Amino acid sequence: MRRLLIVAALILAVCLHAMALGKAADAMKLLPKDESQAFVLPSPLLKIAALEFHGIASDILFLKSTVFIGSAVGRKEKAGIKEWEWNWYAKILDASTDLDPYFLDPYLYANAFLPWEPGKVEEANRLLEKGSRYRDWDWRMPFFVGFNDFFFLHKDAEAAPFFMEASRRPGGDPMLASIAARIAFKENRTETAIFFLEETVRMTDDQSLKELYETRIQALQSIALLERGVGLYKKKFGRFPSTVDDLVRRNIINQIPVDPYGGTYSVALDGKVRSTTSSELEPHISPLMRSLH
Amino acid sequence: MTLWPITLVTFKEGIRNRALYGITLFALLLFGATALVATMIPREVGKVSVDMALSTISFTGLLVVLFVGINLMAKDLDKRTIYTVLSRPISRSQYIVGKFFGMVLIIIATMGILSLLAMAVLVLMKMTFAADFFSRFSWQLIILADCLVVLMLILLSAVSFLFSSFTSSSFITLVLTIITYIIGESLSGVKALVESPAQAVGFTVSPLTRRMVEAAYYIFPNLSLFDIKVQAAHALTVSSSFVIWTVIYGLIYIVLSITLAALIFTKKEFP
Repeated sequence: MRRLLIVAALILAVCLHAMALGKAADAMKLLPKDESQAFVLPSPLLKIAALEFHGIASDILFLKSTVFIGSAVGRKEKAGIKEWEWNWYAKILDASTDLDPYFLDPYLYANAFLPWEPGKVEEANRLLEKGSRYRDWDWRMPFFVGFNDFFFLHKDAEAAPFFMEASRRPGGDPMLASIAARIAFKENRTETAIFFLEETVRMTDDQSLKELYETRIQALQSIALLERGVGLYKKKFGRFPSTVDDLVRRNIINQIPVDPYGGTYSVALDGKVRSTTSSELEPHISPLMRSLH
Repeated sequence: MTLWPITLVTFKEGIRNRALYGITLFALLLFGATALVATMIPREVGKVSVDMALSTISFTGLLVVLFVGINLMAKDLDKRTIYTVLSRPISRSQYIVGKFFGMVLIIIATMGILSLLAMAVLVLMKMTFAADFFSRFSWQLIILADCLVVLMLILLSAVSFLFSSFTSSSFITLVLTIITYIIGESLSGVKALVESPAQAVGFTVSPLTRRMVEAAYYIFPNLSLFDIKVQAAHALTVSSSFVIWTVIYGLIYIVLSITLAALIFTKKEFP
């Protein structure tokens, strides 16, 4: 009888333990999270605290950042990822690459996210320039810096030397050198951007990052197609179309391309094509549109 | 050769230590974690595997030095078996040196086994993942990094012998050795920090602190010299002059520590 009582009490305790763990974990998720928790130790201190385990510490910080990005990108809330969260993301990637400046993955992730949604182009480029200094055999690092300079910041003159550097490194596409010359003449911005993004997809192995870039290419291609149509329209009729449907009506294009972000297109007075998703509804496209116009 | 019997006895005693089972289990768990962590990394699987493997060897070795090594020295003192040993026709310095060689054998044996396990894990990782993930991978550098870790552990063990020659309890030796390890690993980082200009780090360092760090830099062993794990993980070039000078530095530090330990031990009065 007594033994039975003990066993029953133990079973009860185990159940209670599982319940308490679940409740506490759930409650912890609801605790307010704000900037005060977005603290990353300064790199010199991290280096000292990591003792001889710099490599592993760098890996752990990187894994922490991927856990964040994995959960945050799928977030359904309207506000999306907050400014301080992006700041933390940039800081933790910076810390990870301070501990091991040769570690490729943080650079790839920094480039895939920071310049786009949060518009942190300078932060991304600072990281990538560090990567370019240390990974001096890797053509991707200067290529990314050049692309960000060209695409987001419109600093074409500053972008060109990075593309030249990328073309000189092993594995770099020799085409990049002529592209560097082309952007110096400011020709075909959208097409050049598409070429660069396709180059980025070619070197990306990670499936989710690949899809991210492919959607961006699709968005750019739609806009490039419509812009070509608007140009033809202007040549033919001497004025810009008032809507993109005019292009179909006048048989300039067969159909309106689908916006991968789900928006509709409109033509501005100056003939530039915009998508409704370039507003705050969809953060992905807005920097893309900003950079094109 | 009067040292050999002590070396052999020490080695046998150390290998029989129960703590080794726990340490081995711990190492096996960490090697298992290597496979788990590496699969979470999208690109540089090779780098992370090498990081994990080398860090496991290094950390496990640290546990061996701290929990097997220090015990070896302390047991003779705690259990008073030292009297029977010293009543035999060997000098006290021979006793210390013999014990130390036994500890070196233990470190080499355990680290040898662990290194083989680590290599097996790396071979397994290379077989599971595409060769592209291991584009920068060098067995030579991994083995070199491994050897430097072993030298670092032997150095730390020598320092722990020095501590146990003048302390009366193994716990104090343990604490002192851990402190030495932490200082030794972080000293060059601290030195770089206090020597960097104030605006770069955001605080000013008093000249006294700077001088103290400078002094500590020459007194404590610079263990970070023996850490080329990052270089090994990325197959970066490591100059031969770096390796040669580091090995010379390590050997001299070991000889100095053991000599000093022997000197102090000769003068020691037993209760």
